[in-house]
Amino acid sequence: MTTAAPRAANPLGRALTKNDVLVCVGGGGVGKTTIAAALALRSAAEGKRSLVCTIDPARRLANSLGLSQLGNAETRIGPQNLEQAGVPGDAPLFAMMLDTKRTWDEFIERYAPADKREQILGNRFYQSLASRLAGSQEYIAMEKLWQLKSRQQYELIVLDTPPTAHALDFLDAPNRVLDFFDNDAARWLLRPALAAGRWGLQVFSFGGNYVAKTLSKLTGADTLRELAEFMLAISGMNESFRERATQVRDLLAAERTSFVLVTTPRLEGIDELSQLQRVLQQNHMSIAALVVNRVQLAPLPSDWEAAAQEPRPLRAKLEATLEERRLGAERDSQAISRIRGLCEPTPLIQVPAFSTDIHDLKGLWRTAEFLFAENRLEGGQW
Amino acid sequence: MKSLLDKRLLIVTGKGGTGKSVITAALALLGPREGKRTLVCEINGDERVTQLLGISPAGPEISQRAENLWTVNVQPQAAMREYALMRLHLESIYKAVFENRFVRYFLRFIPSLQELVMLGKALYHLEEKLPDGSGRFDLLVLDAPATGHAISFLSLPAVLSETVPPGAMHREVEKMRALLEDEAITAVALVTLPEEMPVNETLDLAAALVQRQLHPQVVVLNAFTAPRFAEADLAELRGKPRLLAIAEEHRLLARSSEEARATLAGTLRLPVLTIDRLYPPRFGREQVERIASQLGEELKALR
Repeated sequence: MTTAAPRAANPLGRALTKNDVLVCVGGGGVGKTTIAAALALRSAAEGKRSLVCTIDPARRLANSLGLSQLGNAETRIGPQNLEQAGVPGDAPLFAMMLDTKRTWDEFIERYAPADKREQILGNRFYQSLASRLAGSQEYIAMEKLWQLKSRQQYELIVLDTPPTAHALDFLDAPNRVLDFFDNDAARWLLRPALAAGRWGLQVFSFGGNYVAKTLSKLTGADTLRELAEFMLAISGMNESFRERATQVRDLLAAERTSFVLVTTPRLEGIDELSQLQRVLQQNHMSIAALVVNRVQLAPLPSDWEAAAQEPRPLRAKLEATLEERRLGAERDSQAISRIRGLCEPTPLIQVPAFSTDIHDLKGLWRTAEFLFAENRLEGGQW
Repeated sequence: MKSLLDKRLLIVTGKGGTGKSVITAALALLGPREGKRTLVCEINGDERVTQLLGISPAGPEISQRAENLWTVNVQPQAAMREYALMRLHLESIYKAVFENRFVRYFLRFIPSLQELVMLGKALYHLEEKLPDGSGRFDLLVLDAPATGHAISFLSLPAVLSETVPPGAMHREVEKMRALLEDEAITAVALVTLPEEMPVNETLDLAAALVQRQLHPQVVVLNAFTAPRFAEADLAELRGKPRLLAIAEEHRLLARSSEEARATLAGTLRLPVLTIDRLYPPRFGREQVERIASQLGEELKALR
């Protein structure tokens, strides 16, 4: 059923007009990347230079966007691809795939004191910071967003966030990374050695630091020492990092930045969703809409009537299929009313479950039609 | 092939939303029924498994829940405390050290120490003995973190054994690594869905695990749709666009289910167990029972 809705009445339509940064957040596997790409595509189709920055797109989607496995290159989507997908005009759509490791390396190269760079990049604690420390992927995605934004080459940037188990980790990321750069702990640990001027691998000891000595029984003294050394090596970056983290936070709370929450119609993630919404609000970050993706639609009464007209074996097959659809749709609509209740007054937008994965521009364009309410689900019916 | 349930450690992993916890819950029913003293272990989980089984939350202490069934939800602080007390022996020392602000800082950032301690606790129970010398548990079912996290979680001992200097921690991780890499003891079950992305991720996950000397031994393909409509049915429905679309979508589902099975089996050369898609309003004990009986049949067919 198609209902043309005036642009101003659609929350995501308003978001495209008002914002120059959109951040898609949600749990893993809910279709964030698809929603992010569909938003950028629509914005580009309206003539705005738009970039979607994705973290880990499905291969076919990445291919259709022209993204190779190599990261961080902003690539323009070919006009003929867009035309084939039925996207009007010569939409200036760009896409990139974030390479978190490389972005961290660039960050260190830019901000670390020159004599410390190699030492940091080669340190195994740095390797684990860049690849495994919880929050570091999320943080570096925000850092990249900030870089892209400050270059002012795009009218809209849509950031797809990493597939975290917990969407909230995203917001906590700057704090966690800031904690990491806080080197009071390293000073404390190494104080006896530093004070005695015995800074060296051979003579290192925790001196009279009883707590440190005990801790080293658990971790091994060398582990602690190496971590402390790393902390000191990056100590020169602490201030610039703090400054940057503040700027990143400001960008997320900026007037022209909005969040788009993405979820699927499932009861399981519902508490986290409302918590996420609350935390965003507490941090003065605006939420454009909550997108409920992959909603299953119920059959119409006329479908049941038509099925009943068919000969026996076929009728049974059709009815079994209709019943499964009915059950699926019922479950989804129950979940959606709970989600709606918990997330008021955030506008809720439903995107139906398509029969296949969205893996090309055409699918993205179809998704956008639902996001922008040109094509709306009415009463959850198919 | 020896049954999966004859392993000592069964690690269940897969992308979020694939039904990993449902499969863990089904194994929690199957293990005890085979007479195995089974410990089901969630790692800092949200108690989804106990919820599915219709029992109260497991909590951080091991408790017996039914004949041959024990549960625990391993949590980082509690596991860290246990580990520390095992090494330090004295509660007062533990307090002095662990309530220090800087120590808390280091514990957070020593690469994945929390995860290591949680995995360590789980594996410790694998080696626990009863007074008569027999093992306390026959089977440990580990609901591992989702893909991505699973790779780093499970390869932690191997990674750390290369990077951590010799010492107490090094000995600890070496022992863990040996357990995880021993094919006779440990099996990894990969849970996935018949859709493109989950299938690709499963292929990547399997490759990553193998590369790290871990052994995926079975794939559980969840939410499988068996074919229902034949070519002749579609011919019958020509000219009735809505019914035809319904039948065609079902065929598409069945086809992607079959394709997923073929791709997984062909690429990984592992047995692929299929679990039919269910349509309940919400998953609970009843559905877990159904899945357990199907999984049990599929496992029997493997022997």
